[in-house]
Amino acid sequence: MRRKEKQAEAQRRLFEAEARPQLDTLYSMALRLTRSPVDAEDLVQDTLVRAYRFYDRFEAGTNFKAWLLRIQMNSFVNRYRRASRERQVFDGPLAIPVGEGVMSRASMRGLTDPVGDAERRLIAQEIRRAFDELSDEARAMILLADVEELSYKEIAEVVGCPIGTVMSRLHRARKQLQISLQSHAVQLGIIEDEDGDVEEPIPLEAFRARKEAKS
Amino acid sequence: MSCKLVRRHLGAFVDGELDPASQIEFERHLEVCSACQEQLAFERSFRQQALESIGAVQAPEHLWSRALHRLDEIDATRAERTSIEARPMRWRQTWPIAAAAVAVLVIGSVVGLPDSPSAGYQGAGMLQDVVNLHSQALPSDVQTEAPQDVVRYFQGKTPFPVKPARFAEPSMKFVGARYIKVGAHPAAALYYNRDGRRVTLLVFQSPEITRNAHRTHVGGREVFYHNVGGNVVTIRQHGGVNYAFFGDLDRPVLFQLAANARVAY
Repeated sequence: MRRKEKQAEAQRRLFEAEARPQLDTLYSMALRLTRSPVDAEDLVQDTLVRAYRFYDRFEAGTNFKAWLLRIQMNSFVNRYRRASRERQVFDGPLAIPVGEGVMSRASMRGLTDPVGDAERRLIAQEIRRAFDELSDEARAMILLADVEELSYKEIAEVVGCPIGTVMSRLHRARKQLQISLQSHAVQLGIIEDEDGDVEEPIPLEAFRARKEAKS
Repeated sequence: MSCKLVRRHLGAFVDGELDPASQIEFERHLEVCSACQEQLAFERSFRQQALESIGAVQAPEHLWSRALHRLDEIDATRAERTSIEARPMRWRQTWPIAAAAVAVLVIGSVVGLPDSPSAGYQGAGMLQDVVNLHSQALPSDVQTEAPQDVVRYFQGKTPFPVKPARFAEPSMKFVGARYIKVGAHPAAALYYNRDGRRVTLLVFQSPEITRNAHRTHVGGREVFYHNVGGNVVTIRQHGGVNYAFFGDLDRPVLFQLAANARVAY
């Protein structure tokens, strides 16, 4: 009996020691996914509760962060019940066709080499806005790869899809972000409208169609 | 290697996720193609910018302490459960269990538990239901650690109160319950887990299940049983309600569980 209590205590301490360093990761991810600090806190708490309940199923030596993130992704999808709809938008007929090189040199330079702090802040703000307009899944892909810097294998574990799918979804998500940012940036006059320099037309219409379908 | 291919996989290249051979090919192409070089530079700096814009945020101060509070609640529920299970394990009270185990051993080894098929059994269908119910492993309606939730769930559903039976063995873990019909009778399937093995306890009325059952005494308790499918279904009766046990466990264990179950508390 005593031994059992001690075991439980040890488990709890171990869990806390492993989970505490991941709190910021979980919260950032939750905040970017839910877009609301209140929902984000709820989501993180649910994640930790679930993880603690099923802690005995975690295989020691494997990636704890990926394990936690998978639980959080599942909680998020279950709670918001958006998964199927989002996937349709993302992979279905409304998905934006993305090319390989969609921007002119001038645009690329304009976006990555801002003149002065004001423009830097403006671009940062525009990136956030463009990011928030992406589908849940696209946001998740970008967060896992570019913010959390997980490997494709880890992302595949978290999202529950094959590695090849990670590669194509991530490519698509990044391109969508760039296209969306570009169209805002043109409107704001940060960069010039595209001319003959592009290799493929900017699928703005597809983007707008998707925006309309979403709202 | 075409520019198109390179650009299509530029992201994976920057991520270092290409296989080594492709990585080298990409590098070779990039050395000589200024357009792709520019694209690569953009990919890198854009990613840096994106990281700065949507990068990690710090969790609010109170979040961790709130989460810990929730974990405390789980610990408390678990401790409560353990103490309920462990209560009969106090030294004085372990004697009946030991005695029961001995009784089963005696029956099992000396007398030999009858293996003859229970011919002419009227409620064979019902018995088969018990076995099927177990092998189907239908999901729980109530997944809970709290017995009162189970009691509440079955209120009005079954004509008798359903409480999860408790066991002296701490290894018997209650995992959930499901409303079910045995023949036309409403019944409760209680699911337990014993060291990773599922045990199903069916709680129902219908006295006919014991009509042609074998009868024995284990640890001073009357236990009915039916041989079925190479194993045994053991049945306890209490207050006009049957508690039928089945699981992928050794025969003596199923007898022991039926005898030691605390069905009234």
